[in-house]
Amino acid sequence: MATAVAPAVLDESHEEHRTATGMSNTKLAMWIFLGSECLLFGGLISSYLLYKTRSNGTAVPTDVFDIPFTSVSSFVLLMSSMTMVLALSALRRGDERLSRVWTITTAMLGGVFIGGQVYEFTTFLREGVGFTTNPASSAFFTLTGFHGAHVAIGITMLMSTFVMSSKGKLHQKQSETLEIVGLYWHFVDVVWIVLFTVVYLVPA
Amino acid sequence: MRKPSRRTLFLGFSVLLGLLLSGCASNAELDTLKPKGPVSREINTLSNWVFIAGGVVLLTIFVAVIYIAIKFHAGKPDNDEFPEQIHGNSTLEIGWTILPAMIMAVIAVGTLITHFAVNSTEANAMEIQVDGAPQNWEPTVVVVGQQWWWEYRYYLSDNITAADLKGVSAKDLPPADIVTSGQMIVPSGEEIELIITSRDVIHSHWIPALNGKRDAVPGRYSPWKIQADNPGVYFGQCTEFCGLSHARMRMQVVAVDNHDFQVWINNQMRPAAVPAGAEALVAAYRNDESATLPDNASAAARGAEAFISNCTSCHLINGVNDLSYTGANQVSGAAPNLTHLASRTTFAGAVLNLYNADGSLNRDDLSAWLRDPAALKDNASTDPIPRGMPNLGLSENTISDLVAYLSTLGPKPSMQQIHDTQVN
Amino acid sequence: MAIVEKPLSLDAADVVVANRPLGVLTRPKGGNGWRDWLSTVDHKKIGVMYGVTAMFFFVVGGSEALLIRSQLAVPNGRVLSADVYNQVYTMHGLTMIFLFVMPLAAAFANYLIPLQIGARDVAFPRLNALTYWIFLGGAIFLNSTWLVGGGGADCGWFCYSPNSGVIFSPSHGVDFYAIGLIILGIASLVSAVNLITTVINMRAPGMTWFRVPVFTWMMLVTQFLLLFALPVITVALFFLMFDRLFGSQFFNPDTGADPLLWQHLFWIFGHPEVYIVVLPAFGIFSEIIPTFSRKPLFGYSFVVFSGIAIGFMGWGVWAHHMFVSGIGPVSVAAFSLSTMFIAVPTGVKILNWIATMWGGKIWYATPMLFSVGAVTMFTIGGISGVTEALAPVDSQQTDTYYIVAHFHYVMFGGGVMGLLGACYFWWPKVFGHMLNERIGKVHFWLVLIGMNLTFGPMHILGLQGMSRRIDTYSAGFGFALWNAVATIGAFTIAFSLLVFFFNIWKSKKDATHLPKPGPDPWDARSLEWMLQSPTPEHNFDVVPEINGLDEWWHRKYGYDDDGKVIRIATVEEAAQKGDAINPHLPSPSFWPIVVATGLPLIGYGLIFNLWLAVPGGLAVAGGLYAWALEPTDDPDGPHGGHHDDHGDDQPVVVGAESNEES
Repeated sequence: MATAVAPAVLDESHEEHRTATGMSNTKLAMWIFLGSECLLFGGLISSYLLYKTRSNGTAVPTDVFDIPFTSVSSFVLLMSSMTMVLALSALRRGDERLSRVWTITTAMLGGVFIGGQVYEFTTFLREGVGFTTNPASSAFFTLTGFHGAHVAIGITMLMSTFVMSSKGKLHQKQSETLEIVGLYWHFVDVVWIVLFTVVYLVPA
Repeated sequence: MRKPSRRTLFLGFSVLLGLLLSGCASNAELDTLKPKGPVSREINTLSNWVFIAGGVVLLTIFVAVIYIAIKFHAGKPDNDEFPEQIHGNSTLEIGWTILPAMIMAVIAVGTLITHFAVNSTEANAMEIQVDGAPQNWEPTVVVVGQQWWWEYRYYLSDNITAADLKGVSAKDLPPADIVTSGQMIVPSGEEIELIITSRDVIHSHWIPALNGKRDAVPGRYSPWKIQADNPGVYFGQCTEFCGLSHARMRMQVVAVDNHDFQVWINNQMRPAAVPAGAEALVAAYRNDESATLPDNASAAARGAEAFISNCTSCHLINGVNDLSYTGANQVSGAAPNLTHLASRTTFAGAVLNLYNADGSLNRDDLSAWLRDPAALKDNASTDPIPRGMPNLGLSENTISDLVAYLSTLGPKPSMQQIHDTQVN
Repeated sequence: MAIVEKPLSLDAADVVVANRPLGVLTRPKGGNGWRDWLSTVDHKKIGVMYGVTAMFFFVVGGSEALLIRSQLAVPNGRVLSADVYNQVYTMHGLTMIFLFVMPLAAAFANYLIPLQIGARDVAFPRLNALTYWIFLGGAIFLNSTWLVGGGGADCGWFCYSPNSGVIFSPSHGVDFYAIGLIILGIASLVSAVNLITTVINMRAPGMTWFRVPVFTWMMLVTQFLLLFALPVITVALFFLMFDRLFGSQFFNPDTGADPLLWQHLFWIFGHPEVYIVVLPAFGIFSEIIPTFSRKPLFGYSFVVFSGIAIGFMGWGVWAHHMFVSGIGPVSVAAFSLSTMFIAVPTGVKILNWIATMWGGKIWYATPMLFSVGAVTMFTIGGISGVTEALAPVDSQQTDTYYIVAHFHYVMFGGGVMGLLGACYFWWPKVFGHMLNERIGKVHFWLVLIGMNLTFGPMHILGLQGMSRRIDTYSAGFGFALWNAVATIGAFTIAFSLLVFFFNIWKSKKDATHLPKPGPDPWDARSLEWMLQSPTPEHNFDVVPEINGLDEWWHRKYGYDDDGKVIRIATVEEAAQKGDAINPHLPSPSFWPIVVATGLPLIGYGLIFNLWLAVPGGLAVAGGLYAWALEPTDDPDGPHGGHHDDHGDDQPVVVGAESNEES
């Protein structure tokens, strides 16, 4: 997926240059890309909503949801947005060490969320709702799976900035790199909020 | 390019336009511009108006372009002479934004009126006799598409609607009074409601002379209607790409007067005739017992035996295997109901004639079909679950016996019908 | 004019990384050999590669068209089996749309957008290279199904479920379709992000939105359509791939799936796709017609706004492809109305082009012939489109050859003829010599006659009731005459393509003894004509300051007191010399091609053996990391003297006037 390209363009954002809008190319490109991502998740969420009760009698995901568990992992992901903000503000102040701490914390919170998702998936599978069970389950696993993949890519990007920073290659003046990773991360979080509301909380 | 070329261009278009108009006058069986019923006529009226409007607009633009192209032709510039530099004219531009919008608004009104007329249905229950009992029947046919033929199901005893079938799999439809395929027999002058669905992929049911198309979508029961002014035969073609033999998935609507329709119902409601000499065999088969034919059995009787041993895993003949039939070994779970095969005039998805133009049985095609169906019509009968009739490896003797048997599954249709329904 | 240098700010660590030996992948230095083409990040070379690839696939898709027309030339044709026919018509559609028209438009977009907005390159040159290589990989992948997938996809380019399922299409063709289009979609998506950023951010000083040339405007709208349409089809393609390869249930009606889900997702993409194909041509007409009429475009803002309007309205009409699918009469009525009204902005454009010609001094050079021809042909397609917008009428016309006629008039008549005209128009800018005008005119008339012979009769065939996608028809349907004519037309078009190739060859041969065309052979209007032909590697010596629409024209001409046009500068005086010293250029890189190689490998892995996906994944991940660690500019690059690490996004040499905004 095109998302994977994002780390590669990071190095093209070291400096502020004259642009017609005043925003750097890289940041603008990330915004544009996220616009496209909205349609990707829009398509996935619409498909799930169309399909969420279609099962021909077999169990659908809504039958096996564990709302308290997912609420906790959603909270964890939400918190990671806060640590992301802290990481960026630390780097902007020039506190690279603290920024690294918050960055790795963000990545770890993301990792906890992914772990929760893996646990949730295996539980659903045990309870008879697998990827191939019915259209509702296929749509559910594809939607949440795509989101999970986005989180995983985000974690990879966070780890990359962490390594860059550790090697002394991410300084205050390159804080935009972290900001752009942060944009992506916040987007993925926002998508989860929508997804959690629409998929888990809205009754069937 | 100099003026002559422009003129050539203009001439070319004129010739093309002429050919276009003459082309529409040809004798195409599927012609969309020759309505034979009120619904298609309504559509045709709308399309005539929009063709005229579109033609006028097109002609205006073409004349304008050609006029401008000739008038302002200057050749390669060899100096710094420029025409007046006009950047635009807001009044003009607003004008030609509003003008097409107004033309469209007029067309839109006509479109909506026609659209809702075409999508409405009327209550036109007709009196018919079912097994001797009078029935008030709202003319309705359930149309089921599958690779690569159409099934027509008639529920005469109850007025079935699309809503009744919601949630029912097309592979599991309630038993119908009459099930036929390839040819839909309807009373002329009556509005026939269609409930269109599919057992496998998406198909589209289209009888151009009677109405536009409606897709047959698995899991959906789409309402549509047709109506023929007069008795006659109206050709159709599947128009949604449905795989290998999409081109060879055709159908016909045969509109008959009310009397002939009642006769047709009476005939179709009867179980199939059993050939003389095969009665014991068939009766035993129905009781799940075994029996053998007498040594001097007729070819048709031998054919009935061959049908029982070769064909019953897919095909149904009422009066033979209706008690044990559980559906066809096909992806769609269906194969044409053969109870009154010989009362139809085409087979194999209405691409082959069952009778020759002189009224005799088309023994050649029917035998060839039984010998190797895929040679006459592409299919996927060798797939793990077949789609289309497989090559059963029948011997020539078995084939001629089967042909003899199938030809008894009448009654034979009228010469008029045989003549009008000929396909080539 | 001052030369402004950006401060040096490269960290020492980066330099060390970049100089680490990498075997064959040692950073290339530029030059003119084949290695240079593999590693180039120059938008102009990438544009040329897009164009060459597109023309190659034009030949492939055209050959498929000839097979189709040979099969249908007479009733009961048996040139191809039904199975092969279905594959050929599917691949014809896919090839023509995704591998010919879109990349040919991308070729012009890549080449021209930076030149028209006065930029040194696109915003992300290496991403630009990446998109080309991903596109090429996807194209090869999609076509490799003929050899390794058991034949082409046989489900039509629209590939409706459930006919696209494994049961109904057991060969690997549809797998290649799904994954191939995902790969091509990634290329187009990355390209869209890149070009949108370029247009928004890299316009020369003074180039406000209403000074942007219409071609760039239309390309921008196109890229936005791609940006929002591609993810939707990607979702559908993933569903299809999961169904076929991993047994998910998205399109299995037996477990409750709705086959119309695919249709909605496909056409939400598919209808904007129509405008993606035709809007670039609108931009081309808007450049060529004013140039050869010696007048400015009539109603620039109306043309721009109607283009934007088409871009927006294009999202609200998708279900007109589904009028007979059974979506309910109210939905049909709504989409019928919205479709009718999208004709309005399209009509506005046509009238504006005609008004541009009015009162002009028209020079029928080949590009102008193609443009006027394309506008008229497009008008035919537009008006037949209106008849289809009327839902009741469409219920007769849809899925017949009337539709085939309609969209070929739009896409071939409008789109392809426009792009062919663009080839003639910009050829001198790209290659430094003109195409032969005399042969060009023969080419034009052959195309015009050929396309009318081919697609004109299809209107009649459709109204006579000839269904689309049928591999054969009976004699009794009365289709024989017009099918024969259409087949003759198709071979005429094929012949015209040979004439075009002959023209390319002959013009190159003759170029040695003909005078050079100079920067501005057509007396044109936009910035690219300010540059020497062929365009210097660094584009602009100094980034021009923009004072108005049609900047280049206004540098050549002014008005006297009577408002009459007078020349104020010769082309030689006004044009840039192309002699900048030490122009700073982004450095070439091998990583884009490495990353791009990985995607088809993952595709093969998904279809045949997941182990194959491992090297593919490594190529993508490793390539991206190597790319990220490689500084944007090679410190040992060929333009030595100074190196700095300003992004790919900035020319180092900018006009002093640009400082007012920096």
